Amino acid sequence: MLTPPTRSAINSVSKRPYICPSCLHRAQRLPLASATCPIRLSRRALQTATDPPKDDAPFRKLLKDAAKKQRIQEKVNGSPSKPSSISRDPRAEKWELTVGIEIHAELNTARKLFSSATTSANDTPNTHVALFDVAFPGAQPHFQKETLIPAVRAALALNCEIQTRSSFDRKHYFYQDQPAGYQITQYYEPFARDGYVTLHPHDFPGGVSPENGSITIGIKQVQMEQDTAKTVQQPPHTHLLDFNRVSHPLIEIITLPQIHNPTTAAVLVRKVQAILKTADACTAGMEMGGLRADVNVSVRQRNVKSPEDRHSYHGVTGLGQRTEIKNLASVKAVEDAIIAEWNRQIDILEQGGAIEGETRGWTLGSKTTKRLRGKEGEIDYRYMPDPDIAPVLVGDDLIDHLRRTLLSSSDSIIERLTEGPDFNVTSKDASTLLLLDDGDRLDYYLDVVQKLDKMLKSRSIGKPELYSRAGTVAGNWVLMELGALFKDSGWSKDRVPSDELASILQHLLCKEITGRTAKRLLQMKFDGDPRRIERIIDEHHMLLIPMSSEEYKTMAQQILEEKPDVVKDIIEKGQEKKVKWFVGQMMARGKEGTVEASTAEGVLRELLKL
Amino acid sequence: MWSFQTLASSIIAHPSHPTIRRTPSGSKPPSQAKREACAKINLDELFKEPTWSIESLLPPKELPRNAHRVSSRQLHHLLRLSALPIPTDAREERKMIDTLSAQLHFVGEIQQVDTTGVKPLRALRDETEGAEKEQTITLETLKDALANEEVIGKHYQRIRRKVEKVDAKDAEDWDVLGSAERKSGQFFVVDSQRPLK
Repeated sequence: MLTPPTRSAINSVSKRPYICPSCLHRAQRLPLASATCPIRLSRRALQTATDPPKDDAPFRKLLKDAAKKQRIQEKVNGSPSKPSSISRDPRAEKWELTVGIEIHAELNTARKLFSSATTSANDTPNTHVALFDVAFPGAQPHFQKETLIPAVRAALALNCEIQTRSSFDRKHYFYQDQPAGYQITQYYEPFARDGYVTLHPHDFPGGVSPENGSITIGIKQVQMEQDTAKTVQQPPHTHLLDFNRVSHPLIEIITLPQIHNPTTAAVLVRKVQAILKTADACTAGMEMGGLRADVNVSVRQRNVKSPEDRHSYHGVTGLGQRTEIKNLASVKAVEDAIIAEWNRQIDILEQGGAIEGETRGWTLGSKTTKRLRGKEGEIDYRYMPDPDIAPVLVGDDLIDHLRRTLLSSSDSIIERLTEGPDFNVTSKDASTLLLLDDGDRLDYYLDVVQKLDKMLKSRSIGKPELYSRAGTVAGNWVLMELGALFKDSGWSKDRVPSDELASILQHLLCKEITGRTAKRLLQMKFDGDPRRIERIIDEHHMLLIPMSSEEYKTMAQQILEEKPDVVKDIIEKGQEKKVKWFVGQMMARGKEGTVEASTAEGVLRELLKL
Repeated sequence: MWSFQTLASSIIAHPSHPTIRRTPSGSKPPSQAKREACAKINLDELFKEPTWSIESLLPPKELPRNAHRVSSRQLHHLLRLSALPIPTDAREERKMIDTLSAQLHFVGEIQQVDTTGVKPLRALRDETEGAEKEQTITLETLKDALANEEVIGKHYQRIRRKVEKVDAKDAEDWDVLGSAERKSGQFFVVDSQRPLK
């Protein structure tokens, strides 16, 4: 150790700040952390700006330049922008994603599952509670048989096999939203097994499925269970409990781990929600808390022989360790959470770590899932058959009746609407029609098309393409035009009766009125005009008088004479595209709707001798 | 140990003859013949010597060297699962472990019974075919609920449950919040943190 000279001597000698010599010595002795310095000491330390700013450059420009530079820098560094789909992620080549989903949906019943108290959504707290719901000592469960109606319908809509005999089990865990200390569920003998859901390209956004075609996801089972109480959190540690929801019947739908893409998972949840709604089994959607999803996510390397530490689930083998993400409350949350978990798991595995089988949570807007409890917090549910509840035996006649009254499936309806010449609606429009106003809009649309077709037939119009257009045009009007009018008020099929709309469209399709006139007529009927469409057209002289070929020729001649240089361009320089400009001019000059583009172009070309 | 099942089947009464048969009679169906064969065994001989004692169900005074002891960790895990308080001192814990061990010994002895082919009992219920038929839920059982549905739509038909006022007074008409320890308005209040003394 150096003997430090006196402080004052150093201070008097140099203006440098005092540094203890032993520290200096230590700094000299310490080796560098790595052989190569990770930070490249470039000349940039001296450069603070690319050019000295010119005094006359506006500040705004400097800001814009700075922003541009930052953008370029980010591109070079490769900022981790959130990939909207993992199929474009380069890591997808090495790693395969596997997802299994558990959906909990509230059944549409009048009473609860094990008591005759009524179900409710937003009623005054603690007003629909039976003694059994709050586990009063001595209270007994009474299975409400009517809850089977929507439950069996839901399972049939999901193509499951209904088990004649099923029973209820107790799943034990303590939590304040569960008064009995156990949840009654169907663990050993669920009432429905071995179903499937098929996702068609039209179910995916943009009509493109990641698997290039339809994909079928198997459903392991559907079981009935109780819901828990609603909790209102009052931070820091107080909870307000409303037991109205306790024992509300739920079905839990468990899929097989056959999903390999986050978009597929999100679309599956959305489709199941739509299927359940169409079957009148579960009418409250995710936004209202009536449907919740838990996802199980695992990754594995492609084309690697399965080592011993692989897991399997109900026949699907070779899977990696999975984690569970609980309580996803929207379709977007499902997709985002799966992508975040996929990234997290691959990061861990690529660094040589191992995935822990844990339960994680997701909040909207976060970047990763958060751990809720690990293996040591894993709950031992000690499932046991509930001795107080008799087994449920379902008769075949009931199953047949419920299957028959399911009536049409959403897939068959969308197929009818999109394929074939009758309707010719786009798949997006078909799905919208199906779900709007609980199906009333679709019913109205079908009525309009039926009446429209009849009207066209009665006028013996021999153009077959007119009929196929009829379906599409009617679809646009029912969804867009009427949709805009009904924006602020609730839907009603009587405001604009279907035969009146059909009449308007019939005139439009036969080119007897212009598009603008048709919209005017629609607005008049919407506002309550009691007259029939024919009468209004008559009284307001709305009919189009088509132009004769003489009138076309005269108008065309006139326009061509006005612009000889453009004519020269077309004839001599062969710029045939400018014919369209002339067509546009004719359409602008003629009375609205009287000039038909194709006829006009034909006449012009004839005159130009093309 | 004598199998309870075969013993029980030998003295189960024939449905039409409630008394125990001791003497064989005429030609009979095979099941009856089997019962007769069992009944031929001298019951007095059989019951003379006990084949087990109640004492065997109690834990021995001296535990064998390699006996499996419930560990403290296992005990704590079980108590946590059952929401029971953890013992405050070592003496209380040892007492709990001893009691648990005695109970496990009892269970172990009972598990010696041969139960092959016997379905575990869940509850005492009428499990005859007649009862099962009665309990099956059919169209008739649910006819009131099914009458509460209607088919709506002219072209696009679908079934909908009629949403009507339901009378649930006999289930709901009681003072729900009456026995709440803490309440706030219409809610029950739960504190997830132990109150600071």
